[in-house]
Amino acid sequence: MKLTSMIPLTISSGLAQALLFGVVNGCIYILLATGLNLIFGVMKLVNFAHGELLMVGAFVAYEVTTIAGLNPYVSILVSMGAVALIGILLEKFAFRKVRGTEKLNEIFISLGLIYVFQNLATLLWVENYNIQIPSPLSGLSLPLGEVLLSYDRILAIVIVIVILIGLVLLTKKTKIGLAMRATSQKSDAAMLMGININRVYTFTFAVGAALAGAAGALYGIILPFNPAIGALPTIKAFAIIILGGLGSIPGAVIGGLLYGIAENATGYLTNGTWQDAVAFALLIIVLVIRPTGLFGEKGE
Amino acid sequence: MDFKAILTEALKSRKFQFAIVALVFVTVLPLFVRSPYLVGHVFMSMIIFALYASSWNLLAYSGQGSLGHAAFLGIGGFASALVAIRLGVPPIVGLFIGGLLSAGLGLLVGLACVRLKSWFLAMVTFGFSIIIVTIVSEFDDVFGGMIGFATPSFLPQVLPFYYGTLAIVTSSIVAIFWVMKSKWGFAFKAIRENELEAKMIGINTAKYRLLAFIISTFFAGLAGGLLAESQLFIQNDIFSAENSFLPLIMAVIGGLGTIEGPIIGSIIIVSIDSFAPLAYPLLQPLNPLFPGVSTVGPSLQFVGLGLFLIVVVIFLPKGITSLLHKLYDYLREDETKKVKEK
Repeated sequence: MKLTSMIPLTISSGLAQALLFGVVNGCIYILLATGLNLIFGVMKLVNFAHGELLMVGAFVAYEVTTIAGLNPYVSILVSMGAVALIGILLEKFAFRKVRGTEKLNEIFISLGLIYVFQNLATLLWVENYNIQIPSPLSGLSLPLGEVLLSYDRILAIVIVIVILIGLVLLTKKTKIGLAMRATSQKSDAAMLMGININRVYTFTFAVGAALAGAAGALYGIILPFNPAIGALPTIKAFAIIILGGLGSIPGAVIGGLLYGIAENATGYLTNGTWQDAVAFALLIIVLVIRPTGLFGEKGE
Repeated sequence: MDFKAILTEALKSRKFQFAIVALVFVTVLPLFVRSPYLVGHVFMSMIIFALYASSWNLLAYSGQGSLGHAAFLGIGGFASALVAIRLGVPPIVGLFIGGLLSAGLGLLVGLACVRLKSWFLAMVTFGFSIIIVTIVSEFDDVFGGMIGFATPSFLPQVLPFYYGTLAIVTSSIVAIFWVMKSKWGFAFKAIRENELEAKMIGINTAKYRLLAFIISTFFAGLAGGLLAESQLFIQNDIFSAENSFLPLIMAVIGGLGTIEGPIIGSIIIVSIDSFAPLAYPLLQPLNPLFPGVSTVGPSLQFVGLGLFLIVVVIFLPKGITSLLHKLYDYLREDETKKVKEK
């Protein structure tokens, strides 16, 4: 919220600015939530360490931009690839081992992963301070009436839209997408139809991780970050899935935008103190009224 | 069965004998180890966290894995300290008031969770702890905010308080054990295995899930009160996510769903926490490899802890306890073989 100090804003335009930023934050949450949603939909797996992949993605993009001198928007691709690779390893060597056992085991594994990722990132990169990916567009903004929107944020929205379209095409138009949908409906039957379930699971996890990697790179371009940023976005992404319904991409988009806007508006109106508390209170109320989420189906 | 019969039966049980030996051991331990740091800090933390992890374990025993148990730990801690300071209630009574208040809020959270599946429930409990810490931080004139405030303890430190805590924790863990072995415990287990089937054989699942929540949060609150009194001090970092995750890590590493698991887990984790810093100087040569930190010790310790948890979940689903059981069986087999050979 640096802008508020630069130009005098009336309450209404300040709120409009907060809402606009909420949309951008919402876009990052959407990427994270669709990745989680995909993994949950196909594998019935709950990965609480998903946000750590976002954090790793941000650091990879930072390294690639500052050391290799790549354009930050190209670094998004590198970050997606690297994080997808990490995702493949995680699926093969951790989550596959507890598949079919008690559901709580997945939560335990992801908790262990949170400890590992956060502290490894601390060791490798920074301890107590925030860094940000340098962007050639930083400082340039588009005036929209009384509010300003930086080009970085506009590009972030465009990139999220492009990635989401790519994801829809992947799941609806390709053979592996068909296999993913079949596995998500009934994994046993899919296996009997000759689908290699393990390969589908690994691929799904890699795609979900790549989305988190992209979200991380965008996060790093827009906002300052550190090794601890992953935890809260994970929970928020879960909240969005719950709001938007399991397995639905449009639901995640609506949920993500709503959450981002609601969060930033509360943050603006209460000086940031109540931001997370109000969001979680809303979430709990939704869950009490509808235990399967707003648009959720019956079942898991 | 009359009391005498139960006692003779219990005396024969190997587990009971172990428990008695362990209890005698921790009772005489501070008489030999005279370091106030070890007794007042390390052993005390082990005992209090054993209760806290046991309370989490009981909730998980009914299939409900909480990710925000620190909320109840903190409520118990703050409530017991505040009623003692503001209302002049004796600290020992304050402990139980803290536990009851925590159980009351546990009932509310349990009501919100009663229809939820494991991971929705994890989210609601996590969200609840965020809400609580926000409220506590906001009203810092009551709760002391970041600075915190001093708390009274119900017995003088160190030794009298140690024995008092030991007595409270032992009876609480016996109570938890009794719940797990009672009809309620069977209902919890049935719900954990398959909630639908439990419902079909006539178990009122909502009632038993709530019961698990109330009992678990009561003991978590009690542990929070003891923690605050043992440190003579409380501040809002008692609500940290780490405190929410610790009982889970202890219970899982020790052995989920067993009575001895959380106790063993608490001993292991508190030992690592207290004694790992002694090894930090040995890791000093690694410093140049890692530019991010000034000293590599703490971060490496937590990386190790995370890996430890993952390895235990994958390779030892029943925790360290199962390893000890195997070792014990192996030794006994050896003995019986020797006897037979003779």
